[in-house]
Amino acid sequence: MSIITVDKVSVRYNSTEVVSDVSFNIAAGDYLGVVGPNGSGKTTLIRAMFGLVGLAKGTVTLFGKDLSEFREWHRIGYLPQKLSSFNLQFPATVKEIIGLGLLAKKKFPKRITADDDAAINKVLEMLELTNIKNSLIGELSGGQQQRVLLARAMAGEPEVLILDEPTSALDPEVREKFSEVLKELNKKTALTVVLVTHDIMNIGRYASKLLYLDRRLIFYGGFDDFCSSTEVTNYFGEFAQHVICHRHS
Amino acid sequence: MSKVILLLCIAVMVCVLFTSCGKKEKASSEGKMTIITSLFPLYDFARNIGGDKVDVSLLLPPGVEAHAFEPRPADIVRINRADMFIYTGKIMEPWVDEIVKSVTSSKLLIVDSSEGVRLISQLEEFPDEDEHAEHRHGGAEDPHIWLDFSNAQKMVNNICEAMIKKDPQNKDFYLKNAADYNDRLSELDSEYKTVLAGCKQHTVVYGGHFAFGYMAKRYGMKFISAYRGFTPDAEPTPRNLAELVDKIKQLGVGYIYYEELISPKVAETLSEETDAMLLPLSSAHNVSKADLAEGAGFISIMKKNLGNLRMGLDCQ
Amino acid sequence: MFELFQYHFIQKALIAGCFIAVLCSTLGVFLVLKRLSLIGDGLAHVTFGSVAVGLLLHSQPIYTAVPLVALSSLGILKLTERARLYGDTAIGIVSSLGIASGVILVSISGGYNVDLFSYLFGSILSISNTEVITSIVLSVIVMLMVLLFYNELASITFDEEMAKMSGIKTRRINEILVVLTALTVVLAMKVVGIMLVSALLILPASAALQTAKSFKATIITAGAIAVFSVISGIWISFAANLPSGGTIIIINFIIFMLMFGYSKNVLRAKPEEPH
Repeated sequence: MSIITVDKVSVRYNSTEVVSDVSFNIAAGDYLGVVGPNGSGKTTLIRAMFGLVGLAKGTVTLFGKDLSEFREWHRIGYLPQKLSSFNLQFPATVKEIIGLGLLAKKKFPKRITADDDAAINKVLEMLELTNIKNSLIGELSGGQQQRVLLARAMAGEPEVLILDEPTSALDPEVREKFSEVLKELNKKTALTVVLVTHDIMNIGRYASKLLYLDRRLIFYGGFDDFCSSTEVTNYFGEFAQHVICHRHS
Repeated sequence: MSKVILLLCIAVMVCVLFTSCGKKEKASSEGKMTIITSLFPLYDFARNIGGDKVDVSLLLPPGVEAHAFEPRPADIVRINRADMFIYTGKIMEPWVDEIVKSVTSSKLLIVDSSEGVRLISQLEEFPDEDEHAEHRHGGAEDPHIWLDFSNAQKMVNNICEAMIKKDPQNKDFYLKNAADYNDRLSELDSEYKTVLAGCKQHTVVYGGHFAFGYMAKRYGMKFISAYRGFTPDAEPTPRNLAELVDKIKQLGVGYIYYEELISPKVAETLSEETDAMLLPLSSAHNVSKADLAEGAGFISIMKKNLGNLRMGLDCQ
Repeated sequence: MFELFQYHFIQKALIAGCFIAVLCSTLGVFLVLKRLSLIGDGLAHVTFGSVAVGLLLHSQPIYTAVPLVALSSLGILKLTERARLYGDTAIGIVSSLGIASGVILVSISGGYNVDLFSYLFGSILSISNTEVITSIVLSVIVMLMVLLFYNELASITFDEEMAKMSGIKTRRINEILVVLTALTVVLAMKVVGIMLVSALLILPASAALQTAKSFKATIITAGAIAVFSVISGIWISFAANLPSGGTIIIINFIIFMLMFGYSKNVLRAKPEEPH
């Protein structure tokens, strides 16, 4: 059952087309890896899918509704690409930031009350942040900060989680841990995960589906299909394809 | 959308250009001496002395506070084109040096109207103040010379001399006008002397900056103000205000005077605190647009002042 | 020692001053974090231009100032969105435009009946009764708005994209913030003068940010610092015979330095904890 449909989407930036005629579906429970080289339009595509950037062509349907009419934002959790260091010096505690993730569900005036504590504590525990809940985000390590931002995205118990290069700035061990957590969430809670990454080498270990983007769609499908696809061979060259696939066979 | 805004901006600029061109001075009538004066009193003296033989204009736009004024390029051009430029004195208009340096015209006569006038310092103005007086007032010299009418007469004579220098043919005309004007100033002076001799209250509480030193000295009045120094910039301290309030209550002062052209906030504060009433007292640096249109003159302004002083100080 | 409190003008200074202090310091936290710190100064320049318009149209300057300054604040916002400029540049552009327009308009109109500047620049020591009421009403209204939109403002200030993704109308909330700031600048400036308004928008927030323990604490601390500086500033300026506005600002700066020193030497001096 498709929860997100992208149909012939193109996105322009300064009169250059940075995303060209892309179409695909995301089904509930998918773990989709969105990969491609730097500058391939991955982030732009994601941002366009959720209205942060305008569509030049095509349509996006979220949970059955067209993007322009979609209002149920609490169903989607978003972890943007690394925040600027200035933002990370924002004087808020972990608890306060996670609380911000609950705002999508609330009506005016949006208050974070004691009733919300339960939801916040739940996600604190899930991501092992309970002991630093009163620390300022600026005082934490990179890995901890990412977990806090993930917690914020998860706080409202969304059905879809979008992550844009969440681990590119982290150490390998931390990266592993993070990816494990995501995999757990995907398996246990049927959370749909869309992960943008340029780490094509490792994504296959977690993702069930792969979308390879280089301005236009090069490949979309299951990982095994990736290895047998001729388009992929044409694009990467056989040797590269084998290297990528060989790792995971 | 942005194209519309761009067109709008260009249209505005074109309009502004046209209106400012239109506002250029009407070519001065043939034969008249063009005179530019810095402050209002000089303007009034000059036009009275020169009569229809001169075309006098005021450098300071109406309503603008004198001490904050800075000449613009257009002003310097105007002065360059004129026959005479009259200013009060180097302390009152420190920017005169700037203008003198940039003047290229050979026909321009620059007149320092304060020649021969003795400036008094703050120490002299407050002979009976305590040792803190110098501290408070900075020991500088008071530039508001025209408020002592004998000084004003000297200024009138200086201007008259300058006009004669420039236009010797009409010497008698200028001398007669100057003499007439000085007679009126003498008359004004006697009026002031008479009225202010018999007042119940001798202290003038002024909500503006300290411009009336010369007047106070001449007529034996005591002027107190919340401001230190001679320009309206320096902020009064809360202690100054509190002391002033106390003094007002102590002396039983019923009226507080406020300065022309400046927002009378300080005077209003004092009034609210002490239940004293407000009256205007103009030092005539400059006048408002309305007053200028009505044809106010230096002497009429000073007469108005006298009326207000008489009322406020409870005189004969 | 306490005789100064008997004077009405001191009482009014304290009341209006404290309300404006809380108002400015609270808005200031958001403005500083959004890199719009100098918006107070910038909008003051625009006020000069709009007062000139008002006098030209022979209307009370305040009636033209409020809408024109509010529009300019929206203009600043638009510049940051469309022209890809940071806040400080956008402020500079609008500010220059404001003061230039004022200068030109004054020149064209051939003079006024009163001096423009004195109507713009209030002073904390010459506050009228009406102005005390204005300060209180303004503060209550703005603080109420901040309270109602507190979480949206926090979310937008922290991460505007994420805020948009949670369905928050980011443009609307930003507009509300700058218009409230415009209102504050115009009205508070007339009461206590621009020097103090601008300083109260920046300094208490900056000081509070040095030792912030949470976002809520930052706002409360900024307010407390602002109020303390106003009260102690008036008191010390009276005792030492100094101008009140300047004293309040110096005290703010001293507090900032103290908090900076504290944060550097005490708070951050701990050794790094293992990750």
